[in-house]
Amino acid sequence: MKTFQKNIKLYCGLAAIALMASCKPEITREFQPAQNANVDFSKYIAVGNSLTAGFADGGLYLEGQNVAFPNLVAEKMKTHGGGTFNTPFFSEAQSNGSGYYRLKALVNGQPQLEWVSDKSALNNGVLTKFEGTEINNLGIPGMRLDHSGVGLVSAGNMYFARLLPSSEVGTKSYQDFVDNRNHTFFSFWLGNNDVLGYATNGAVNDNPAGTTVLTNEQTFRAVYTQFIGKLTANGQKGVVGTIPDVTTIPFFTTVTRKALLDAASAASGQTITNLFIATKTNPSRPATDNDLFALPFSSSGLLGNTTGSPAPYGLHPDRPIEDKYVLDTEEAAAIKTHIGKLNAIIKEIANSKNLAVADANAMLTKLKTGINYNGVGVSSAFITGNAFSLDGIHLTPMGNAIMANLVIDAINSKYGTKLEKVDATDFRGVKLP
Amino acid sequence: MRKLLFALLLASPTLTFAQGSQVNTQGIRALGMSGAGSALFVDETSIFYNPGALSKMENNAISIGASAVMYRSAFKELDSDVQHNTKFQVTPPFSVFATFGPKNSWWKAGIGVYTPFGGAVDWGTEWPGRYELNHLSMRAIYIQPTLSFKLTENFGIGGGFVYNLGSVDLSRSIPVFDQHGNAGRAELSGVGKGMGFNVGVHYNLEEDFAISLSYRSKVNTKLEDGDAVFTVPAALGTSFPNTKFSAELPLPSSFNLGITFPMGEKLDLAADATLIGYSIYKELVFDYENNTPVLTDTRQPKKYENAFSGKVGLNYEATDKLDLRMGAGYVYTPVRGQYVYAETPDNNRIMGSVGFTYNLSEKFDLSGAYTFQRIMERTVKNVETQLQGTYKTNIHAPGISLTYKW
Repeated sequence: MKTFQKNIKLYCGLAAIALMASCKPEITREFQPAQNANVDFSKYIAVGNSLTAGFADGGLYLEGQNVAFPNLVAEKMKTHGGGTFNTPFFSEAQSNGSGYYRLKALVNGQPQLEWVSDKSALNNGVLTKFEGTEINNLGIPGMRLDHSGVGLVSAGNMYFARLLPSSEVGTKSYQDFVDNRNHTFFSFWLGNNDVLGYATNGAVNDNPAGTTVLTNEQTFRAVYTQFIGKLTANGQKGVVGTIPDVTTIPFFTTVTRKALLDAASAASGQTITNLFIATKTNPSRPATDNDLFALPFSSSGLLGNTTGSPAPYGLHPDRPIEDKYVLDTEEAAAIKTHIGKLNAIIKEIANSKNLAVADANAMLTKLKTGINYNGVGVSSAFITGNAFSLDGIHLTPMGNAIMANLVIDAINSKYGTKLEKVDATDFRGVKLP
Repeated sequence: MRKLLFALLLASPTLTFAQGSQVNTQGIRALGMSGAGSALFVDETSIFYNPGALSKMENNAISIGASAVMYRSAFKELDSDVQHNTKFQVTPPFSVFATFGPKNSWWKAGIGVYTPFGGAVDWGTEWPGRYELNHLSMRAIYIQPTLSFKLTENFGIGGGFVYNLGSVDLSRSIPVFDQHGNAGRAELSGVGKGMGFNVGVHYNLEEDFAISLSYRSKVNTKLEDGDAVFTVPAALGTSFPNTKFSAELPLPSSFNLGITFPMGEKLDLAADATLIGYSIYKELVFDYENNTPVLTDTRQPKKYENAFSGKVGLNYEATDKLDLRMGAGYVYTPVRGQYVYAETPDNNRIMGSVGFTYNLSEKFDLSGAYTFQRIMERTVKNVETQLQGTYKTNIHAPGISLTYKW
């Protein structure tokens, strides 16, 4: 027994070592880069519009740029031989970039927005030129596929002009801007604005700059083929995104007919049962629950307004809500059909070039009913859905992380890679006051 | 005309209790054999393991025991290679057992205070399951007065009344974000009470062979007037008022069969099989005193199944003053894959133990034990939160107890 007592310290010491060594369990299931995946991520470029640039809350600003989905994807490529991924970030001093919407208050549960304009990069409608190294995130807010080959467009787009030397503004097209970058991999998500510009204007094409045109199938196919042809000229691989059904986004689903009627009734003190809208085929008809109202209409101050006319705006058959504020039943159905056709073209061209397809349209359809992501309800509901920022069109940081995972899944399943998923719970939804 | 109806449809926090994490460290002697020994040990810890054996004690005794349960879990989300670990924490279950009554009599009385359920996990606020759970610590303290009778020289019967004091303290993140982008938080804490019983019979042939049958009832623990505290952006203050809550947590029954017989002059073998009645744990309901459109009562499915454990151990009388022990066991989990929550990332578990008792004097015994349990790796997708990934847990529990006999 003496020896036991003498050795008790030794036994305790051994036990302590064993304890520390085995205390923390090691999970044996691994998710390691596949050795045989034949993809070169060393120089990834992201081609696209506002969604690629990280636009959010009605503006482009540093926080949004940081969490743009291509940036999150590029981070995960690093374990697969991915190189540096440069973004034309705004400086800290001008971190609010173009400015953006902030939620100031909830008054009786109704959101009150305000525009953040300090730390701005804007000066007389011109953004401070970006000066830095060669960039990989080439997303230009507002870029349309049908405009991608037109040099003049850069003169009318301050985000594009910001990235070009003065001599090239108004002459260099987006396709030329993207070309000759010796990329090894690309993401390509253009085409949204070819539908969105038309849809958010109530399916009215009235902008002389061509930003409200609905791009037809023929043009879409031709330009898509041309652009993808350039990006795959040396056999590069990549991922393309489909066009989401714009009628499912909060921009069109938040302001409902019922909400407007309730608000008009409350404001006037009497029960109002009909809204009147102008459509392409009917100068004035009562609105139905299938007519979609644009998000900004609720704060436009127009509904019920009697300025310049005795008839209250939108509440009297003689003074219907203008076509540009409403995506009526027929227009919404036509746009949905058109998006289906354009997505078929995207998938066809992607398949012919052996590219991965991130089906953003399918994802948004799921968000319409809502998904549960690790205990977070994510849906296309305005503010509470966590996915869409305050403009009702672009994504929150959490929405970007979910989009990044969609892209990662598409790449992994197409090319057999094992890019790790992004932990979307690390990212916020809408900031509340 | 800035009127726009806007309904907040944030998911109500459904909050969770740990049910499992059952690490039986009530008797340090049995702990050294992985929990086997309900038939072998006839001492003050029989109050817990089998009240029927208590009357066979020749003397009286009081013992105080404590152990340090170190429960460490790890998680790796599906399609990710990042492992998240719970913080290092020690929970100190304790037990006190005392017997009273005349020596060598036909009856014996006793009281036990012990912690049959308890655990603490802290995943923190930076892991993929943060909206399911940040941290949880819970403990059930059973207080059990007991009476035991010898019907014949070889046959003992006994029973005790169980009063449970349970406490719980948990938190999780809520997906609402302040101006810095930080998520909100819900913290719940409270104390519950419940009642049950513990009965058993013990039979031995000569000094050699013994058999033990015991049954511990379920204890339905009711928690009233718990505190729910929410940290949310000011705009949501009225949606998430700090309030009281009540909940009900059924702790399971267990039916245990134990046997022991000699393997040699100084070597005894003991084996125990236990059926644990976890199937009573169907769901967990939280009832908030103040409900709002976003803070509604919650009903979380658990759908536990009955569980089974088997343990076997050896007791070796090394000298007339020292007993050495070892044991091993296997536990089938009550938790189905899709109902695995971060609070108790359960699966089947294996365990191994070593232990000793040393007679310091005629009056004093010192016992020590060390048990290691491994909850096997398990890849699951939670039915409610959709959190998908792999869990694995190691449990280390050293324990020590001191017994005074008279």
